[in-house]
Amino acid sequence: MKHILPVIFAVLTVALIAAGSVHQSSTAPASTPEGAVQSMFNNVKARNWGGAYSYVAGSSNVDQQDFQRDLQGRYSSLRTYSQLENVDTRVLHENDNEALVRTELKYSTAVGASYDTRDLKVTKDEGAWKVNWQTEKEASVPPQVIPVNYLRWDVIWRGQGDDWGAQNVDGPRIRILSANYAERDGAVIVMGEVVNEDTVPAFVSVGAYLVDKNGQDVAFESSFDKMSHVLLPKEVSPYRIDFPGQKLSNLKSVRMKPDSMLVPASADPVIGVLHQHIEKDAKGRTVLKGELLNESGQTVNIPHVLATFYDDNNQVIWVSDGYADHALLPQTPQPFAVDLRDDLAAKVHSYRVTANQYSLNRED
Amino acid sequence: MSSPTIVSSRYASPSSRSIPLTWILLLALAVHGPLLLMQLPNSTYDANLHKFLASNYAQHWFNPWNEKQFTGFSQTTYPPLEHQWIALFSHLMGLNLAYMLVQFIAILLLPIGVYRYARIWISERAASYAAVASVLLGSLAFLVYNAGQLSTTLAAPLYLNALPYLYEWSREGKGRALLKGLALTFAAAAAHHTTLIFGSVLFALPVAATAIIDRNRDGVDASTAGVVSRAAIFAVLAIAGIGIVLLPFWIALYHNPIKQMPIPHASRNNYLTSIEWGLNYWILPWGAMMLALPYIFVRGFKEKRFVPLFLGFWLTMIFGLGGTTPLPKLLMGRLYEIVTFERFNFWATLIALPFVGLLVMQLIDRYGRKAVVALSVLAALTMSMAVAWPMYHPTHDAKFDVREIASFLNRDGHDKYRYVTLGFGADKMDELSILTNASSVDGDYNSARLLPEMTAYGAGQLTNSKYYGVNGMEALRAILKHADQYGLKYIFVRDIYYEPLLAFAGWRKTEVYDRGAVSLWVKEGIPPAHPTDFGVKPTATEGLLWGTLPFGSSLLAMFLVIAFPDRKRMSETIEFPVVTSEQPVLREAR
Repeated sequence: MKHILPVIFAVLTVALIAAGSVHQSSTAPASTPEGAVQSMFNNVKARNWGGAYSYVAGSSNVDQQDFQRDLQGRYSSLRTYSQLENVDTRVLHENDNEALVRTELKYSTAVGASYDTRDLKVTKDEGAWKVNWQTEKEASVPPQVIPVNYLRWDVIWRGQGDDWGAQNVDGPRIRILSANYAERDGAVIVMGEVVNEDTVPAFVSVGAYLVDKNGQDVAFESSFDKMSHVLLPKEVSPYRIDFPGQKLSNLKSVRMKPDSMLVPASADPVIGVLHQHIEKDAKGRTVLKGELLNESGQTVNIPHVLATFYDDNNQVIWVSDGYADHALLPQTPQPFAVDLRDDLAAKVHSYRVTANQYSLNRED
Repeated sequence: MSSPTIVSSRYASPSSRSIPLTWILLLALAVHGPLLLMQLPNSTYDANLHKFLASNYAQHWFNPWNEKQFTGFSQTTYPPLEHQWIALFSHLMGLNLAYMLVQFIAILLLPIGVYRYARIWISERAASYAAVASVLLGSLAFLVYNAGQLSTTLAAPLYLNALPYLYEWSREGKGRALLKGLALTFAAAAAHHTTLIFGSVLFALPVAATAIIDRNRDGVDASTAGVVSRAAIFAVLAIAGIGIVLLPFWIALYHNPIKQMPIPHASRNNYLTSIEWGLNYWILPWGAMMLALPYIFVRGFKEKRFVPLFLGFWLTMIFGLGGTTPLPKLLMGRLYEIVTFERFNFWATLIALPFVGLLVMQLIDRYGRKAVVALSVLAALTMSMAVAWPMYHPTHDAKFDVREIASFLNRDGHDKYRYVTLGFGADKMDELSILTNASSVDGDYNSARLLPEMTAYGAGQLTNSKYYGVNGMEALRAILKHADQYGLKYIFVRDIYYEPLLAFAGWRKTEVYDRGAVSLWVKEGIPPAHPTDFGVKPTATEGLLWGTLPFGSSLLAMFLVIAFPDRKRMSETIEFPVVTSEQPVLREAR
């Protein structure tokens, strides 16, 4: 036993390590279409670009650099602030040599979770399944001069010793234009529009208290990123405030709490919204699609789309938003899509899309 | 066929005698003293957390409610012994040096504990080698100079010092041994809860089993039932005493059991597939001791009384492999997602030291000075690699100064509001917490947090949100959404990754610090912070217990050990002549 037991424990140790470590090579040839897609994106997750590229079919005519740029993003877009976190695949159809795989990608980004759905064509190449990767074509804009003639407001503060945000001027006049509420998916939602009625730019936030039937405040939430916080004079922004876990039947009223302060701002960059239309996406969900056009001469790194949906009475019935994961290059249209609840689609009479933005090196 | 020959030594060379404990402690002073005086552990992963917890005791010894993180949390969620000692010393030498002093005390206790623990199984001489090895242990250097796990490095030696008394009490029924063993056990429990729950069991079971095997050894004549019943009495009294000494801890745990989502930790990785973490958590802590593994496996079964020690070692070693084997997950269930596994390697190397002591003794007997030189080089390399590792594998970004930020928070009533740091890292967040009076929504010690926005997501500190993926960013979004409720007005950003979210959510950049590396983002319209409803504040009685019993247990242990010293041996063990099958080599005299 003195000799056998050490051997048994040594073997047991090795066996336990093997049991925890045995797994398929990250670049082993894929035997199924789903396997090819999964393996490719698993390598993307691990930032093993060479490994991921080994699953791209030669017929894709894409080199590794372009493939990597597609997945990593560029121009400090939201994609460059992203890390792929989860991949779900489903084969839509398949034959001996070809398949279409629906791939749902979940990214962790600088603004929260981001989802992307791609239908990828997968082909059999020398006995192994490989992904046909179509690179995103980038429109090239001819050299040109963009005149800068936008409005800009600067503010001179009292002095460096001021407390932050303490201003010796009244906040700009803002007004809640409309407020509507609904109960959706176990949450009370307050939505509407707010306008800057002043002649100076305003930094605006909108909060709301839910008041129960005894007149007590039961919850407070703010619009967070579901509004444009910087409003130029006369500019209107939608807002949406979600109260998870609340029920309309328990409430008596809603008390709005708009806040504003004077801030420096500029009208640049101007982002135009083109070709807006409602349609069904590949998964059968109702979406509002269109294109964003950066009319300025500087790159907008992270565009944020806010869509306001109105019914026949011109009342706000839904506010939806979404971040585009591509940067807006000057004068280059970029597609966008935001969700619209299927149950509201029939009630939508009109809609309005505004674009908010974050750009590096821009102070206002 | 040659018969075994007895080679008698006419003269006992210095290398064939046990090394006096005083020399070993001087070695610890020589090796660790300069490193601690240089305050190397200051930049370790957890050092600032311990200093932060200690700073609260320095100001409010009997009030464990700390409002500086998590909008307020109870420090009764973390055993306080080392923090209270740091707090005490800090009045004399400041927090940083006080931390180093307590760490040094822990390091000094380790060779004493290892020596006494090893003596249960091996000779004085081999135990002295084990004690020397403990000073140069890679896993100790890793925890002290890389991880900053003061609690683990203090609790383990206290248990190692306590357990020989369990052995003595179980076999011989000596009351003094029981008292001293219990007092040291209470002090060890007051130092670290994880070591109490896992380490103490892994250390103690081999001792208890060996006491049964040794019931008739060295002139003792005890029955199995007697040994078992005395060990059981020790266990029952230890559990009851720990229950009392850490009563506020258990009350806090009862009120707020750990229900949060598991937080990822690299020590749960598979070290073979994640080589970087395998190097960090396994190869460096083990160092040259890896070479001793085959010997340990063989020696562990050579004698019956070594088997419990080997089994304890083997299980701890497997746990130290983290996610490399499926066993920890199978045995621990949900606990697997809460515990981190780097400390198991420290424990495994400690349990292995009696075997290492034996191996060293055999090598020196066989190869003399050559063995001494080779072993010294291996030990020095192991220690120096583990100490130097943070230089090659930094766990933090480059150092930066948070005093300017603390100054902002401490002036003009800014501390009426709460703040959060993003991209600072946990250690700098803790340092800022020490320096400022303001309260943060974020916090470092995961098990203390109760804010629902944080416990609902499997992410650690908000300051490190991006490293926890969607869970981290969703937790951050949830907290920012409730900025009004928490009075969260100021956000200090040291990573532009977080700026888009702040900009879209209504914060504005207003100031920069550290030559633009840190920016301050402010949100207007936020009401001043008020106490939150999360967590149960310890009562005044709990505060009194917390301020007296854990610290008192360490004073009691010191008193008992000093007032009732162990009887010194009147004779020194002389090694029996080595039995060898080799014929003596006869050489011509020249």
